[in-house]
Amino acid sequence: MADELRVDSGALIFATLADVYLSSGMIEEAISILKDGLARNPNYHLAKIILARAYCLKGDCEKAIEAIEPIYDEVKSDESANLCLGHCYFKLGDNEKAKKYYEEALKINAENADAIRALEQLVPKPVVEPEIAAPEVELPAEPRKEEVLQIDEISAVPSAAAPVMEEPEPVEETPEAVIQELPEKTAEVESVPLEALDKPAKRLLDLETVKSVVISTKDGLLIKHYGKAEDDIESICASVAAICLDVDESFRMLKRGGLTRCIIEKSDETLCVMVVGDSLLTVTTKVETKPGLVFIYARKIIEEIEEILG
Amino acid sequence: MKIKDLIKIPKVLGAGLVSDDGFIIDGQATYEYDTEKLGAIAARVVNRIKKSLDVEGASAIVYTRDNVLFLKEGAEGIIFVICQKDVNVGLVRIRLNKIA
Repeated sequence: MADELRVDSGALIFATLADVYLSSGMIEEAISILKDGLARNPNYHLAKIILARAYCLKGDCEKAIEAIEPIYDEVKSDESANLCLGHCYFKLGDNEKAKKYYEEALKINAENADAIRALEQLVPKPVVEPEIAAPEVELPAEPRKEEVLQIDEISAVPSAAAPVMEEPEPVEETPEAVIQELPEKTAEVESVPLEALDKPAKRLLDLETVKSVVISTKDGLLIKHYGKAEDDIESICASVAAICLDVDESFRMLKRGGLTRCIIEKSDETLCVMVVGDSLLTVTTKVETKPGLVFIYARKIIEEIEEILG
Repeated sequence: MKIKDLIKIPKVLGAGLVSDDGFIIDGQATYEYDTEKLGAIAARVVNRIKKSLDVEGASAIVYTRDNVLFLKEGAEGIIFVICQKDVNVGLVRIRLNKIA
């Protein structure tokens, strides 16, 4: 039972990783990992919402809607799902539906700035009559009306018939601009501060014999890389993942515990691989390295990875 | 030094020599461990390392939750040593390098 729980919780980390990819602008990678993860966990709604966001950012609004609408009843209380649908319908020109979903998002969180902003573009504000000043001061009424009309002319709101008094720069807030801000502001999954790994990784790289530090998923996908840029960094990730998978399967045959770490010695370098939850930390070193020292220095990174990626 | 000398190292549970295709050439292990299975695992992992990383003489130390497995490809085949997890890794490594 404990093993099953471990596998299940591990399997769901792909959504977190995908969110990191999205935050980094790696939309295709995010879509790929989400599709793969959803094939294994088809009922993981949060992943579907993130997938929809990814499609929305990619500009494929139909697919984004397809991802959420079948499960909308179950996720209707989710702020980002509603916001994503709102953005998609806005982009598709269906302002009625867009308005409906933005309003739903605001019901969940009345302070959602994206929804407020987007809704302002859909629903023109009622005309605010200029306040009548004190009787002794006469306001120049005509110039103000012209100013209002000018603003109305350049507004991007298609149905804005009535003049708007406030916000002199509504043009900048195009739907695209709003959507670009989406991943940071509406992320359901907490953003993953991988920068926290920089310090311990650099400390490890300070060791003379250490060439690079690579963090990847157990599936062989690169998460982060420190040190010398190697052309084949992704193939190293895939190779190490394949080796770890083989070892894990082999020891399962022996009914013994799975892999925790591994030292692979090549003629020109040594790979020290550590399993951290669902991630692999691979430290590439020179042949003359002291693996014990690498493992000690890597401990801090392992703690950080455990905290961040689980 | 031969395979049977490796067995004498404290906390070593088994050791053996297998061909590339996993057939056991020589081996000895405590009753809990099957040298045939260990040999098959050793050949599988070494072949995987060779294929994936494109190396000639593969060598690895694999730590699992319960054991430490040493693998080294030598002239005669693949040598493996399975140990308890609290074994003196450095000592086994030195002895293994002398054999291979």
